[in-house]
Amino acid sequence: MSEAKAAADRLVKAKRLNALLTPPKELRKSLAAQAAAARPTGVLYGMPVAVKDNICTLEFTTTCGSKILEGYRSPYEATVITKLKAAGALIAGKTNCDEFAMGSSTEHSAYGRALHPLDKARVPGGSSGGSAALVAAGAVPAALGSETGGSVRQPASFCGVVGIKPTYGRVSRYGLVAFGSSLDQIGVFGRSVHDAARVLSVISGRDPRDATCEDRDPLRLPTVPESLQGFVIGLPREYFPADLDPAVRRACDRAVRLMKELGAAVREVSLPHTAYAVPTYYVIAPAEASSNLARYDGVRYGPRFNGAGDIRALYRATRGAGFGPEVRRRILVGTYVLSAGYYDAYYGRAQQMRALVAQDFRNAFDRGVDLLFTPTTPTPAFKAGEKVNDPVAMYLSDIFTVTANLAGLPALSLPIGRVKGLPIGGQFIGQAFLEDEMLEAAYALERAVPATEEA
Amino acid sequence: MSVTRDDVLRIARLAELEVDEEGLPALVDQMSRILEYVAQLSAVPASEGTKPFLPPGPDAIRFRPDEVRPWPLAAGPETIAPAFKEGFFVVPKLEQFEE
Amino acid sequence: MPPAQAWETIIGLETHVQLRTVSKMFCGCSAAFGAAPNTHVCPVCLGLPGALPVPNGEALKLAVRAALALECTVHAKSVFARKNYFYPDLPKGYQISQYEQPLATNGSLSFLAPERGLVTATIVRLHVEEDAGKSLHDRFPKATAVDLNRAGVPLIEIVTGPDFRSPQEARAYLQTLKQVLEYIGISDCDMEKGSLRVDANVSVRRAGESALGTKTEVKNINSFAYVEKALGVERDRQIAVLEAGGSLEQQTMLYDAKDNAVRPQRSKEESHDYRYFPEPDLPPLVLTDEFVAEQQSLLPELPGKKRDRFVAQYGLSREHAAVLTASRAVADYYESVVHAGADQQTAANWVMTEVLADAKDHQEQLRVSAPALSQLIALVKGGTLSHQAAKRVFVEVAARGGDPRTVAESLGVIQVADSGVVAGWVSDVLAAHPQEVARYRNGEVKLLQFFVGQVMKASRGKADPKLAQKVLEEKLAA
Repeated sequence: MSEAKAAADRLVKAKRLNALLTPPKELRKSLAAQAAAARPTGVLYGMPVAVKDNICTLEFTTTCGSKILEGYRSPYEATVITKLKAAGALIAGKTNCDEFAMGSSTEHSAYGRALHPLDKARVPGGSSGGSAALVAAGAVPAALGSETGGSVRQPASFCGVVGIKPTYGRVSRYGLVAFGSSLDQIGVFGRSVHDAARVLSVISGRDPRDATCEDRDPLRLPTVPESLQGFVIGLPREYFPADLDPAVRRACDRAVRLMKELGAAVREVSLPHTAYAVPTYYVIAPAEASSNLARYDGVRYGPRFNGAGDIRALYRATRGAGFGPEVRRRILVGTYVLSAGYYDAYYGRAQQMRALVAQDFRNAFDRGVDLLFTPTTPTPAFKAGEKVNDPVAMYLSDIFTVTANLAGLPALSLPIGRVKGLPIGGQFIGQAFLEDEMLEAAYALERAVPATEEA
Repeated sequence: MSVTRDDVLRIARLAELEVDEEGLPALVDQMSRILEYVAQLSAVPASEGTKPFLPPGPDAIRFRPDEVRPWPLAAGPETIAPAFKEGFFVVPKLEQFEE
Repeated sequence: MPPAQAWETIIGLETHVQLRTVSKMFCGCSAAFGAAPNTHVCPVCLGLPGALPVPNGEALKLAVRAALALECTVHAKSVFARKNYFYPDLPKGYQISQYEQPLATNGSLSFLAPERGLVTATIVRLHVEEDAGKSLHDRFPKATAVDLNRAGVPLIEIVTGPDFRSPQEARAYLQTLKQVLEYIGISDCDMEKGSLRVDANVSVRRAGESALGTKTEVKNINSFAYVEKALGVERDRQIAVLEAGGSLEQQTMLYDAKDNAVRPQRSKEESHDYRYFPEPDLPPLVLTDEFVAEQQSLLPELPGKKRDRFVAQYGLSREHAAVLTASRAVADYYESVVHAGADQQTAANWVMTEVLADAKDHQEQLRVSAPALSQLIALVKGGTLSHQAAKRVFVEVAARGGDPRTVAESLGVIQVADSGVVAGWVSDVLAAHPQEVARYRNGEVKLLQFFVGQVMKASRGKADPKLAQKVLEEKLAA
């Protein structure tokens, strides 16, 4: 009981970050009730886990950071929530995010932007900025986010926490509000690799309610390795361009040196189609989103913004007023690239390019590389307002993360240093369903790297 | 590949999105820039023989048995519906069915 | 009405058939018809945020059986696709269907066209999809009521080529299609209940032209009779427009049964751009050879084959065979009656008359069991019952059950075949009609039937008429 109160207190203390969307009173009441009912034998017993507001919960509302779902109380919960509860965890409120997970800064939330825990003038990243900020601020030990193009790893890098994106098909998407269905995965934030991995293990595994979820047992956690002897780490040259921020490069070089000292072999590789990954992503994701968001029409749930007139007036008024500008843009782009006459040139071509991006990874792994290591983001957290009016500039901050989503591969970002006081992350990209190897490398690097030191 | 005002209005109709006159020029500009950006994909020659992409996970559908076993709903549709009467969702009439 | 001879009518049909599963296509809700509105719903078929589709295996089995019965090529790999459009009873704002890679293509169905004889319609494609919910426009003023019970029920869509040359042909094809699908048991095929729906594409051209004319789509046809009417009305409309020198728009017409007219679907929108793309929430649909072979083995003998076999095996005429094989239940029933020992032609006559008449009044139930009917036929053959009496017994057994002999006894209609008793009646009759006896002995042999009738009257119908006749002949000859 007192743990529930302590958890609530910590979350309420972090209020200024605008990272939590759940009102304090409701949060306290729910945490107390959940603590009373929690299974004491669960492996996460008593652990408060904050949840990104695009994951359906029975507790609290699910707004996806949008007005079009303002006040929406989901009558069912996501499979991952059921699994967390079965493990004794407490659902510690819903976190702020870019609307429908579309964004890289959490500035596109209809409920105000979330703040960077160390510098309130900066963004915590996005779209899962609220979850990252709360974990970084120590308000919760772990939080769920979601990834479509890097929305867990990028904020993890900006906020200085661990962020894991599992293999596509590792974690059930039932109850994750869909954005880009072939890219979406629920991911985990933690203060340490171990905290994040424990939660990932609990939420992973088969689910008959998701036809794209692999029929596998939950992820088994590896032990912390003594060294990285036997690991071959690939450094894809396209992720270390000549114009990479020198401080970011220094942080990565330091991490690579430490991995070598731990016994890893390091090799340069090439993923030649990397340059096309961002435009490919920005065709496929909006296309799927335009279809996934068609259900928000004011008919069956959510508010109605009444257009006077017939049903089409209702649709247009509700969707016009309920969706923010970034979501509207993506729906329009997505509708365009799927429309008659444009499908082959855009969507068809993007799917072909996606296959080539995935093939690049397969080629690298086939040549004996176990894991890839890259910077997570090209820069540390940027200032609020800097990119919000320039969509393409915003998209380019996903440059190192989207490839893993396109290929469906697991990836993990951990803090590897500071740049002028701001955290910066390095990421591992692993082979499909081989999260355990990725976790081993991450454990080892985490122990060695001076994450809070300037690079 | 830039879009015209008419293109944007046509797409907005297809997507049932209201676009106000004021915001239209900026929207046309932003969409043009986005579409120009992604159009670089067309510059890449079409590659034959690329196997279509299949994400990790099941490579074929695994079927559900034919039984009446709905996934749980903690509350009925009337609890979330904006307009519900006599068991039905209620919406304004479709224009063509108006008298 | 303008004469149709100078014009050729070209019709193609799209039929949607609900598959007989207990649960929906992509969720475990009940697919049953008739429940209170919005009670067979769940996150998936309500289109709630975060819900995902999971396909029903039985639906695929039934769909494959239908494809095989229609002689289609069943594709080992097919893909579900999203068809995107907005409508209040389409909860997700898209329908999960199939587009570029459907389940089956290239089939055929032969049927008897009223004027052209045997016609083979091409089945261009057969694919699987989910149904939408129902919109009711008359329940509330100025509003539409939406019921999502039907949303997600499995459907197959069967598309023909432009193969039909008259509304009558279209109807004949549909009746044959319904028969085949009922035979294989995959659907109720009930247009009233909406488990079979038809949309038609209609165009006309001057006789002799090879190019196809502008086609329109005709929707909202709710019975087989209306199929013929609606297509006739649209054909006539098109001919009238063209004969007056006008041109036709490619549009959707809605049939109004109340005044037997077609009206354009009033819509400010341009024609739909469905923006099909492969469904990312579902992996590809892969069917093994074993799966397809199993569905093939589960196909019963199809109506055409059965009809031909009945002609050959039971010596029936084509017309009688057609009547007996119109429904699988009746065909199976007929064969059971014959296998229980009844004569083939007699059994055929009984089934085509008494059995079918009774079924028509009792929701198609075959109320008299095959063994019972066979017994009844044997009783007539053996002289225990007259045909008239047997019909009475049939009605009684149909309504209240029981075995025919016992029922006949309780009705008191067992024929007396005891020659002694019959002789007594004959004597009485002859004694009562001396003039007729004299006339008969003088050569008016047709009076025999009169005497038989009198014996039947005297015996209150119980005498075996054949025996009576025999005894009469003997006595009169004496």
